[in-house]
Amino acid sequence: MNIIGISVNHNTAPVDLREALHLQQEEISDLLKKLHQELLNEAFIISTCNRTEIFGIPKDQNLTPVDMQNFLTKAKPVPGIADEHFSKYFSCSAVNHIFRVAAGIDSLFVGDNQIFGQLKESFQLAENAGSTGLLMKRLFDAATVVGKRSKTETTISDGAITVSYAAVQLIEKIFSSLNNKSALVIGLGETGEIAAKHLKDKNIGKLTLTNRTYEKSEKLAELLHASILPFSGFKDCLSEFDIIISATSSPELIITADDLKLMTKKRKSASTILMDIAIPRDISAEAKKYDSIFYHDIDSLNIIVEQNLKKRKDEIPKVHKIIKEELVNFFSWLNSLDIAPTIKTLRETFENIRSEEVKSQINRFNEADREKVEILTKRIINKILHHPTSELRKVANLGIDSPEAVSKIAIVRELFGLMNNNTNKEN
Amino acid sequence: MKETISVLNILLPLLYFVSFGVYLLDFIKDLKKLINIKRVFLFLTLFIHIIYLLMRGLESSHPPITNVFEIFTVIAFSISFSYFILELLTDVRGTGLFIIILSLLFQLISSLFIHEQLVPEILKSKLLGSHVLSALLGYSGITISAVYGFLYLRMYLELKENKFNSLIYQRLPNLEILEKLSYYSAIIGFVMLTVAVIVGIIWLPQVPELKFSYSDPKLIGTGLVWAIYGVGIFSKFTGRLQGKKVVIFSIIGFLIAILSTIISNFVSKSFHSFTIK
Repeated sequence: MNIIGISVNHNTAPVDLREALHLQQEEISDLLKKLHQELLNEAFIISTCNRTEIFGIPKDQNLTPVDMQNFLTKAKPVPGIADEHFSKYFSCSAVNHIFRVAAGIDSLFVGDNQIFGQLKESFQLAENAGSTGLLMKRLFDAATVVGKRSKTETTISDGAITVSYAAVQLIEKIFSSLNNKSALVIGLGETGEIAAKHLKDKNIGKLTLTNRTYEKSEKLAELLHASILPFSGFKDCLSEFDIIISATSSPELIITADDLKLMTKKRKSASTILMDIAIPRDISAEAKKYDSIFYHDIDSLNIIVEQNLKKRKDEIPKVHKIIKEELVNFFSWLNSLDIAPTIKTLRETFENIRSEEVKSQINRFNEADREKVEILTKRIINKILHHPTSELRKVANLGIDSPEAVSKIAIVRELFGLMNNNTNKEN
Repeated sequence: MKETISVLNILLPLLYFVSFGVYLLDFIKDLKKLINIKRVFLFLTLFIHIIYLLMRGLESSHPPITNVFEIFTVIAFSISFSYFILELLTDVRGTGLFIIILSLLFQLISSLFIHEQLVPEILKSKLLGSHVLSALLGYSGITISAVYGFLYLRMYLELKENKFNSLIYQRLPNLEILEKLSYYSAIIGFVMLTVAVIVGIIWLPQVPELKFSYSDPKLIGTGLVWAIYGVGIFSKFTGRLQGKKVVIFSIIGFLIAILSTIISNFVSKSFHSFTIK
């Protein structure tokens, strides 16, 4: 029984190739069906902006990752893509890679939470396409455990790793609750938009947006239930806000020293947070001089981002330990699906039950009958196990990689609790 | 009972030291398992401390306020007790070590130097006991308020200077919470000082032999501290004082309280000193 896989990701290929290879949901579904028909008994595909990967159980033992690679490039031709852009995985390394992806340590930003959700969606797609079986389901369950354990038992996903989120986390070190605070976001490019969304996620009391292009403000304001200020007049209202985040692409200062003077005069000693996440800067550095203003620019926010990234990287050994433990669990289960050990464990389990029962009741029989009881009970057990044993042997003739064999062995193990027997022995 | 009191007298600084150690360890390591353990340690310390104070009171038939070292042990208890209540009410658990260390110091000095001495009859009054205990709780309140004020200023500097990697930045709660903790402790301190003043006014006519004087340094000092906190609390309440200015006000009040205590206890004579000549 073997799991093989291929991956084109941020470590192996440049962004233009990754983008070109990216598969839409419909493409994934079609490809899964074809893979299932031609190459793989079970399969799943994950495709995000940073990775496109295929994993599965081959129908033919001679199938190699190169065959899967050819299959993919034939289905989705990408000019310039070559063998060197693919990582190839077999057996343990394939499972290890899936676990690393689930834990977020294979992501461009270590500890990325999004990938776990994307992995779930990919598996759901595979299930809908009918390309998953017992093995893939078990593999996905194990990957879920790895993802969850990494998140709860380590701090791999803690701390902001984007400037926008770092700004919001810094705000939370100044104000205890944002639901009684008002915020203004100036400039609704990608950074400003993300910052506005983060503020909304943190339940900001009142969110106001302003942008040179009014339509863009309108669209985002509707989405976030925010109010809008016209870009030409927002400066008159600066003193109304506890938090101001500026992220425009203006080459000149948006909030000057004079604006700050007027604003602080109106706000008296009330604290104001100014987050300048624009390059070049939008807010006069004079802001630093005011006691009641907490001013932070992109450089200071980058300090937080870098610190958090370092902290996340320091957590990687702990995640490796979790992955190792789950690899052992997964392969213990996988190895238990072989025919011979299954028959052996099944017989041992029944024999244990028989001998324990006989031992506890044997005193009720006289000396002469005791031997007969032993023989009789052994004969009963042998008769009970005769049919299941010969069925399992027939299954072995189908090939132990066949879905039918895997399924039958798994059912037998589950029904008679043989999984637990194995685990207990290992422990 | 005397033997038990002696044992507890030795045990208490050790218990405060252990509580401080657990809070310090949690502050440095941020270990999840210590979150509740440290609270249990502090509770046990306070429980044993109150037993010690009760036994001491019963044994000597007067409240433990008859000399500086008895007062120190009451201060140690009231500071940590006030903090414990504050921690339970706010669930802010990362600041305990900055408060408990004060209790540790007061209790250590008390345990080292406390001794039995003849007690003037005047000090056995229950009203005087209430007066002193409420004043001590009041001073504990303003001490805690000042500690949170200092922590606020420290955190404020870390934020202004982008020191995001420091333990102070990472472990302390946000500025608004530190300001609230400082403000609420100041309110508790102010209320208890007010109670002390009222009880003192009620008690005074009952002791005609006491030479009351409006120019008494302790009276002036406490009055000044009381007035400063009154003005500060009122200004914060009406929104005139906010943020850094609130905590600076609290710290100034605390420094004046220390100064007035030093002057009234060690420099000038006060009708507040009761010793047998």
